[in-house]
Amino acid sequence: MPALLALRLVTYLMVCTGVAALYLANLIGAAGAVLVVLAILVSWGHEHARERGAVRPALGWSLVAAAAVAIAIDLFYLAYSLLDGMVHLLLFLILLRLFARRGLRDLRDAGLLSFFMLVAAASISFSLGFLLVYITFLLLGTWMLILNHVVTELEQAGWPGDAATVARRVFFRGPLTQVSLVAAAITLALAAGLFFVIPRVGQAALPLRASIGRMVTGFSDNVDLGSFGDIESDRSVVMRVYLADEGLDPTTLPGLRWRGVVFDQFDGRTWSSVAAPRRYMQRTVAGDFGVGLPRGTGPMVRQEIYLEPLGSDAVFAAPRAVRLEMRSPTLVVDDMGGLTVSDSGARLHYVVESEIDTPGRPLGAGHRPSVVMTAAERARYLQLPPLAPEIARLAREVTAGSVDAEAAAGRISAHLSTNYRYTLALKRQTALAPLEEFLFVRRSGNCEYFAAAMAVMLRSVGVPARVAAGFQQGEWNQYGRYFMVRLSDAHAWVEVYLDGRGWVAFDPSPRAEAETEETPGRLSLYLDAARMRWYRYVVNWSLRDQVQLAASFHRQATDARVALAWPRDWRVSPAVGTGAGLAVVVALVWWLGRHGHVLPRSGPTARIPAFYERALRLLARRGLAPGVAETARQFASRVGERTPDRAAAFDRLTGYYERARFGDAALSEAERQDALRSLAALNARS
Amino acid sequence: MTLVRAALWRLFHPRRTIKPTRDGWWCLLVAVGLGVAAINTGNNLLYLLVSALLALIVVSGILSEQSMRGLDLTGVAPDEIYAGQPALLGATIANRKGWFTSYSVTVELLAPEARALESTSRFIYVRRVEAGRERLVTWEETLPRRGRHRLTGVRITTRFPFGLFVKAARPALTEEVVVFPAVRPVSAESLRRLGESGEASARRRGRGNDLYNLRGYRAGDDPRFIHWRSSAKTEGLMVRELEADTSQNTRLVLVGRGRRGAEALERGLSEAASLAVALVRAGAGVELAGPDCEVPLGHGRAHLRRMLTALALYDTEAPRAVPAPPSGAEARRSHFPLREIRIALA
Repeated sequence: MPALLALRLVTYLMVCTGVAALYLANLIGAAGAVLVVLAILVSWGHEHARERGAVRPALGWSLVAAAAVAIAIDLFYLAYSLLDGMVHLLLFLILLRLFARRGLRDLRDAGLLSFFMLVAAASISFSLGFLLVYITFLLLGTWMLILNHVVTELEQAGWPGDAATVARRVFFRGPLTQVSLVAAAITLALAAGLFFVIPRVGQAALPLRASIGRMVTGFSDNVDLGSFGDIESDRSVVMRVYLADEGLDPTTLPGLRWRGVVFDQFDGRTWSSVAAPRRYMQRTVAGDFGVGLPRGTGPMVRQEIYLEPLGSDAVFAAPRAVRLEMRSPTLVVDDMGGLTVSDSGARLHYVVESEIDTPGRPLGAGHRPSVVMTAAERARYLQLPPLAPEIARLAREVTAGSVDAEAAAGRISAHLSTNYRYTLALKRQTALAPLEEFLFVRRSGNCEYFAAAMAVMLRSVGVPARVAAGFQQGEWNQYGRYFMVRLSDAHAWVEVYLDGRGWVAFDPSPRAEAETEETPGRLSLYLDAARMRWYRYVVNWSLRDQVQLAASFHRQATDARVALAWPRDWRVSPAVGTGAGLAVVVALVWWLGRHGHVLPRSGPTARIPAFYERALRLLARRGLAPGVAETARQFASRVGERTPDRAAAFDRLTGYYERARFGDAALSEAERQDALRSLAALNARS
Repeated sequence: MTLVRAALWRLFHPRRTIKPTRDGWWCLLVAVGLGVAAINTGNNLLYLLVSALLALIVVSGILSEQSMRGLDLTGVAPDEIYAGQPALLGATIANRKGWFTSYSVTVELLAPEARALESTSRFIYVRRVEAGRERLVTWEETLPRRGRHRLTGVRITTRFPFGLFVKAARPALTEEVVVFPAVRPVSAESLRRLGESGEASARRRGRGNDLYNLRGYRAGDDPRFIHWRSSAKTEGLMVRELEADTSQNTRLVLVGRGRRGAEALERGLSEAASLAVALVRAGAGVELAGPDCEVPLGHGRAHLRRMLTALALYDTEAPRAVPAPPSGAEARRSHFPLREIRIALA
């Protein structure tokens, strides 16, 4: 392929890659991306049309002017944000370069400008697709730069004829292509290495726009019954929970859920937590938030959570969260243990340590609830709107004979899960209140209905209860050792206050029986594990990771040193060490000197030999100095004329001088001795 | 101590210099800007882009070094350079590496005069030099004045692979050369008209008109010199050998010391050089005489070079001729009468 054509092709591909990056970052929509790509394709053919004179310059410049005005208006008034406006401006500039291309410089500029599309995308995108775009761009970029360099040099050199046609004639094949590929590979490898070692010393001071992501119903202060219905059929992965403890078997954690929001108030249709007392917490110097105290009710589990951008302030974690590490400076905690953070960027990655409640395990000594529920609190969690009396009657019937609140809760949960059907078809059939319709007419619903029904029934028999919402534990990905939580895992359950134990979770929903098991394919698990690693090792790479990496290297180096040490009590004595060090230094100096890296090159023309310099000084005392343009032999002849008695000695010295300075071989010992004798003869008094 | 001195010497005399091109400056600027943005936002994808730019810079350094390493530049200067006349200079680029090809190297002329040239004349581009191979590049350079002249040299540069940095080696071809005075063509007619001459036979082979000798034909002899009559008599090809025409043996006498005006001095020296060249090329013996400038009679190219060197280095303040001692034969021949041409240096 001719070099110029290859350069054009690579540059256009780079621009297309940049457009793909913008699309991945949602900075342009699908329609916009298609339009831009179409414009790029048109610009490819536009050059021929321009050469044929089919395009009038005036028309072209009018279009450019109109587009420039439109872009300016967009930048200042129409664009969603400054970043969007800048992206539109960037696209305009690139297309302008491509359409009005006059020479190589325009083509190169278009390629280099497309790099800024990646910059724009990088500021808000965390998608794994960015990695693909990045690698492609780097490969194309190195190619483009090398091609551009070669073609530009050829054009500047005017080789071998008309510059405009040279580049078209020169074919780009063979070894230089291999060099380009090697350069791209080395660049990629080095970039990866540099990425991991560049110290993450900075603190985020200028947060770029973080995408809020899709708004998800069900995880706000006010949630209508049935709001999960839409999302429970969505299979998108929204959260990945990496369990840091490698020895932990996920199967030993039954009923693991990711709790987000908790509701205490019910008005018959809507659950809310608006009135819950909240407190703001500041991050400690150690960079974490202490949100609770361990109670000894189960194992401590450290979860590293990677959340897709989700339109909710809730911080999801396994109950009961004890400690939270997050980039946000503040955290809002309500008195029900609900955690919220308004910084959407900070919610994308955090670490939580939770104490997992193990059913039936007694509380450790001294870890009973420190505060007994007050009357006001009890009233709060027993709050009920005016409801049909049948609900309370049903509750009493179900819980009749229960010895305590736990037994009552168990009976209601069992009643609901066995006598009612789980469904996502939530179409209203009557004008009754939603809960009444669920319990007595439809007898089917989703998890919210089950949770709401249980909470209301418990409250109606005097047991404090509340509704919690979050996600089920999700699928375990054995390739990445993490839980893959989908939007369809959104779930609601009930927390019941049991005297002496505090709040205990109950899940009355027969969801597990209703759901068909959809086992994800191995490929999809691999891909998701790759995505997880992308989040883990690239998007969220931090100073702490770097410290851990360095410590790991140090540990491995120490292990290797210990493993290689033999015999184990062998120690290098100072004398041996010094000797070896000196030997290494001498060898290094010799090698560097030989290869001319440090010492000045000691080649044959380095300097005048000392014996000849001395001879010149001796002759200079007698008023004989070589002329500026006189060669050594000419000077020797002149010396012979002026002082014939010294001619033979100086002739010999001249011969040795020429050999020592311009010849490749050094003088032998005999020759050196002869040179010294000649020097003595030259110095002898006549 | 020597090591320290050597290290300091190396520090101030690096083997290569490196300078960003305009694109390189942009690349550095963008890398710094993105680095600041990455630090302030903590966005790792920006760090990824910064890493790519830094990697590009490092790879640029590695590959350009690979291209420059093992390249030897040997200058080739002609034996005779005349003032005001273009001289063909050259340089050989040898790739001493055993394996790697050097791509995209440029021989840059460093002469101040070359800076005024178009880039195509100032930069000689060599697309590649394969391992173990050599490339010869040549260019014309005009040195304006006679005398000793230090060539400003040439150097190898490369922008390979990305055009972001110019890496340059140390200059070569920086030795001193002696530039002879400008010479003009002198016609044979003009030579004959110049001055009075005493004619004398020199009885030696040459390109004159008189017969010197007859000898047997040898391969390579000019057929026009075959002496047919003698050939017929001897039944073998015989050729004529001509006697050297010594009627033009000349003594060029420089009159005055040239202290009155540089222009007149240069004109005079140029005239002397032109006559010397013309006479020697015509086979004449030439002797140069003048104040503190004496080159005895001689023939041939080496003798011409001695005279031209003397004229090139003629200095009104401290004149010094650099004559080679005349050989015995030439000394013997110097008693022949010479015609004398006087050249005023004013």
